[in-house]
Amino acid sequence: MMADVNITSNDVNTQQLEPLVKNRPPFTVRAKKVFKKIWNDRLIYLMILPVVVYYVIFRYLPMAGISIAFYDYKILKGFSGSTFVGFKHFITFFSNPDFFKLLYNTIILNVYSLLFCFTAPIIFALLLNELRNKHFKKTVQTVSYLPYFLSTVVVVGMLYNLLSPTTGSINALLRSMGKDSINFLQEPKYFRPIYIISGIWQGIGWGSIVYLSALTSIDQELYEAAMVDGASRFKQVIHITLPSIKNTIIVMFILQVGNLMSVGFEKVFLLQQPTNYSVSEVLSTYIYKLGITNANYGLATAVGLFNSVVSLILVYFSTYLSKKYSETTLL
Amino acid sequence: MVVKDRRTKGEKAFDIFNVILMCILCAIFLYPVLNVLAISLSGSGPVLRHEVFIIPKKVTTNAYKDIIANKYIYQAYLNTIFVAVVGCFCSLLTICLAAYPIAFCDFYGKRLFKNMILIALWFGGGMIPTYVVMQKVGLVNSLWALIINVLCSSYYVIVLRSFFAGGIPKSLIESMRIDGANDFQILFGLVIPLSKAALATIALWIIVGHWNDFVAPLLYLQDRDKYTLQIVLRDIILQASGSLYEANDASRIQEGAMIIPAQIQNAVIIVSMIPMLIIYPFLQKFFVTGITIGAVKG
Repeated sequence: MMADVNITSNDVNTQQLEPLVKNRPPFTVRAKKVFKKIWNDRLIYLMILPVVVYYVIFRYLPMAGISIAFYDYKILKGFSGSTFVGFKHFITFFSNPDFFKLLYNTIILNVYSLLFCFTAPIIFALLLNELRNKHFKKTVQTVSYLPYFLSTVVVVGMLYNLLSPTTGSINALLRSMGKDSINFLQEPKYFRPIYIISGIWQGIGWGSIVYLSALTSIDQELYEAAMVDGASRFKQVIHITLPSIKNTIIVMFILQVGNLMSVGFEKVFLLQQPTNYSVSEVLSTYIYKLGITNANYGLATAVGLFNSVVSLILVYFSTYLSKKYSETTLL
Repeated sequence: MVVKDRRTKGEKAFDIFNVILMCILCAIFLYPVLNVLAISLSGSGPVLRHEVFIIPKKVTTNAYKDIIANKYIYQAYLNTIFVAVVGCFCSLLTICLAAYPIAFCDFYGKRLFKNMILIALWFGGGMIPTYVVMQKVGLVNSLWALIINVLCSSYYVIVLRSFFAGGIPKSLIESMRIDGANDFQILFGLVIPLSKAALATIALWIIVGHWNDFVAPLLYLQDRDKYTLQIVLRDIILQASGSLYEANDASRIQEGAMIIPAQIQNAVIIVSMIPMLIIYPFLQKFFVTGITIGAVKG
């Protein structure tokens, strides 16, 4: 069917107008064919109907709802009862003295994550790969995946356990070394290290899977050749292992850059204390407070839109770059 | 043995160092979990004196008895199971309905349908507009909001489609069509039974996602009897208050059944973790393609 349509459209390009009109089947015939095809496929349309309805209501309606950012939106009145205010919310947000603080907090937290949470799994994978005992390797791997499956609330609960100034193990250790205990969770200067270190703890094992699978696909003959040439194991890592997984590392890095703006809301929200707002207030927590707590939907959506636009630019940029290094195509 | 002889002193030292480092790392991975377990099982004396690290002291299960008797935790557990099980079933169904036509059918609008799913992978309305839509539809303060929220995730559609396209030969589908089977019969009679492994993996991931979800319940649930485990958990361990204690608890403290909150907090953490601890070893074999697509999704 599709082939027929293509042929007729080719005719348009190659032949003169006169014969075209003669060769082409009349509109009613073509329409009949199309309808017949659609009628034959009616079960497929029935199949995708719930999916389409779902996507339209719960994925695309919220996208249209972004226009809330340009309204003085009142949830009870809807769009018809709300006044259009143009860029008022954006101006309010950009002229807010906290704007740069929020942006800085969001970006710096992500840059640190990129530096540490991204490199840690690579090093972990390389070290795992050097283990000689396969059973030991498997056990370490299994144990390292465990934190990934714990919820953020549980992880933060464990942090409270470990870091509590009175009952925490870390402070017990500090006291036994003759130091004063520190209230880690209240002090702003410890917020970022806590966020990053717990992030590494949770993600290092799981993040290493991609690299480990890349490592297993390296040709073993390369290592044998290197051994014959007398290369030490360290040199083998530098000259064979790392170059072999270079592309994987680059792709994963670029994809992480695309994520730069989407800081994990959950953990920041749960680690937030009134005493550490100066470092822990990021765009997503700000949106939550504006929108859900204060019901200022217009402004909150405007902030969210700003966040999405910046991250969309980053995502676009990073996928453009990653296409150079990988042949991953979706759908 | 030959290999061993070849190792230089430096390499031997490195191997030993590496093994020790891995053991330390394993200890770091496990310590917080074991610490929680130990505190939850200890008597109040040692906990108050900060003596409990890995091994429980004056072992007692009072904290667990207390939790089982607490109707809010019980209710939250039931709510979470409901969301995870019903959500998992509904999600699997819609994901199959979306992935099958993309993998095996030609129809007008297929490209549009594909793009509709792909665009949703990259772009969303964000927290507030989604919340407003949920409210307009009347799902706020309903457990269905949590199910609907992640119902037909584009990411799983893509994963399942690539499994369908790669794992099931098109000739099988064609021969069933020639035999007069319609697309629903092919999907439920052939494709789904052949993809049990992939579907089981996706199902487990959906369950893990629902079980650990905190943001959606935080946004959409208002009544205490609708709370899921993660919300109750936050109330108990981070605010050390709220949902757990009611008027009747004051009387219990007077009765002398002293259980300090630290043990209950830790017992709740353990109770909420158990299903994940059971599931996760089965999820290890998760296909790497899934992870890379997950990274692409961001």
